[in-house]
Order: sequence, then structure tokens, then C-alpha cells
Amino acid sequence: MALKPDIKILIVDDMSTMRKIIKNMLTQIGFTNISEADDGATAWPMIQSAIKEGKPYEFIVSDWNMPQLSGLDLLKNVRATPGLEKLPFLMITAEAEQGNVVIAVKAGVSNFIVKPFSPQVLKEKIDRIFK
Amino acid sequence: MNMFNDPSMKEIVNDFCDEADSLFDQLENSLTTIEEDPSNTKELEKFGQVIDRIMGAAKSIGASEIATFCELGKVIGYKSSQVTDVPLIEVVVAILFDSLHMLRKMNQSLREGSDKSMNKLNTKAFVTRLNWLSEKFKDIERASCAIENTKANLSQNSIDELMKSLGL
Repeated sequence: MALKPDIKILIVDDMSTMRKIIKNMLTQIGFTNISEADDGATAWPMIQSAIKEGKPYEFIVSDWNMPQLSGLDLLKNVRATPGLEKLPFLMITAEAEQGNVVIAVKAGVSNFIVKPFSPQVLKEKIDRIFK
Repeated sequence: MNMFNDPSMKEIVNDFCDEADSLFDQLENSLTTIEEDPSNTKELEKFGQVIDRIMGAAKSIGASEIATFCELGKVIGYKSSQVTDVPLIEVVVAILFDSLHMLRKMNQSLREGSDKSMNKLNTKAFVTRLNWLSEKFKDIERASCAIENTKANLSQNSIDELMKSLGL
């Protein structure tokens, strides 16, 4: 793995099943420093706190459809924050409609992945984002 | 992936079943609310959002029958939230109640880890009913939590192409 294994990653998904699956995949790929949030609304303060502590997240993996703060709104918050304009942000969705993809790209998403996906596909996406 | 025969999947599958049961309760509450007030289209949108979440996880653990039900329920939920035909909404609610009942049974079969118990459920007939109902809304485009007009769903390859064309 070209990336350092302890890159600070935040998984954001309201389904704990999905968080476990994604965490397992990231662990399989070789990553070791993985945190979880159960909604965009939970993730956003974690992202802000991490900045204040001087240890910002280096990669966000977020679901789109969440009850309180969607992945898209979380992405917009991130991109509107000085210093986070280029933070790698991978959006996960169960279904990708063209309009949604374009909206997310306009909002600054780094890449998109559609459920279900394999560790290999996830790795390819990560490689593409960090190349 | 066959979740029934893979011990390493057992914990994740059990978690899914617990989460799904809790979300089924939310879906049932939504349907009860809509049954009492069929003009409450916001609740149908909420139904679509919740069942969408179950769908994503079901697909990811390979619970394809549950995912199919959820996908159809999601489309019906989102699309019916855009109509004002009360008699049609009443039919939608009745069928979604039946489908939810079936989803609970399917989830229980998944928890028990038995192909046989899953096979006992006549899911095909229900899928046919859901498809029939989904057809009633074929003129309505928005079938997800999209925020602008959308067209067809994209495969991962199509997304990759689109991202490439957009410079990513």
C-alpha cells in the first residue's frame, strides 16, 4: 500500500452494519486509524474537533442518505471550511442517479462508490483519489 | 456471497437483522401515520428514506431478496410522495404494510440462517405486486433522495466515466 497505513479516516454512515463492513474492508486494505460517525451531524463536530486538536482527518468515507445531515451537506460543510477544500471525500450511495453525481461533483466530492462494492473496488477508488 | 454459509459474516448479518428490525418499526409508524392522513406525503418521503437505508446494507451483505423488496418500496415511497391521489395512496399504504410484514419474515429467516425458511416465503408474488404498483408511478421520475431532476440510475462504470468526463 502506497499510502501510510495510519492515515486518519472517518467513516460516516447511519447503518452500523455498513460502518462495520466498510471498516472491515479498510482494515483488509491495510488501514489502521479508522473512526466512525453515525450521521453527518455527528461527523461534522468530530471533523471540527480534529482540526482544533491539530490532528485533522485525512480521508472521509461518507454515505449520502442519512437522517439528520446528509453526506452531501456534510461535504458542503467540509468544502466551505478553510483548509479542508481538498480533503479527500469518498461518497457512498446505494443508487447513483446522474443528477446526484453531478451535484456531488459540483460540491467537490473526490469520488463515488455504489453499494454493494468489494474491497478491491474500494481500494481502486482510494488509489485514484490519492494518486 | 452466501451469508447463510459464511461464519465470518454471522456477526455482521446479526447486526443487520437487529438494525433492520428497528427500522421496520419506523416504517410501520410511518405507514400508520399515512393511513390516518393519506395527504401526509412528507411521511411517504420519510418512508422512502428509511427503506433506502435498509436497501443499501441489504445489498452489501448479499441479502438480495430483502434488497429487492426495499428497492421497490423505496421507489414506491418516493414516487407516491409526489402524488395527491388519495385512493391511490391508500392502495400504496395497504401494499406497503403487506410488504413490511413480508420483510419482517425475511429478516427473521435471515437471522435463523436458513435457506429453507427463506425459500418457504412466497416472495416472488409480492415482488410482482410491488412491480405492478411501481408501474402506477412510471411517469414520475424522482425515485430517490435526489434534490434535482434526475434521469436513469448509473452503474459504477458509468459513474467512473462521468467522473472522468467531469475531470475527476
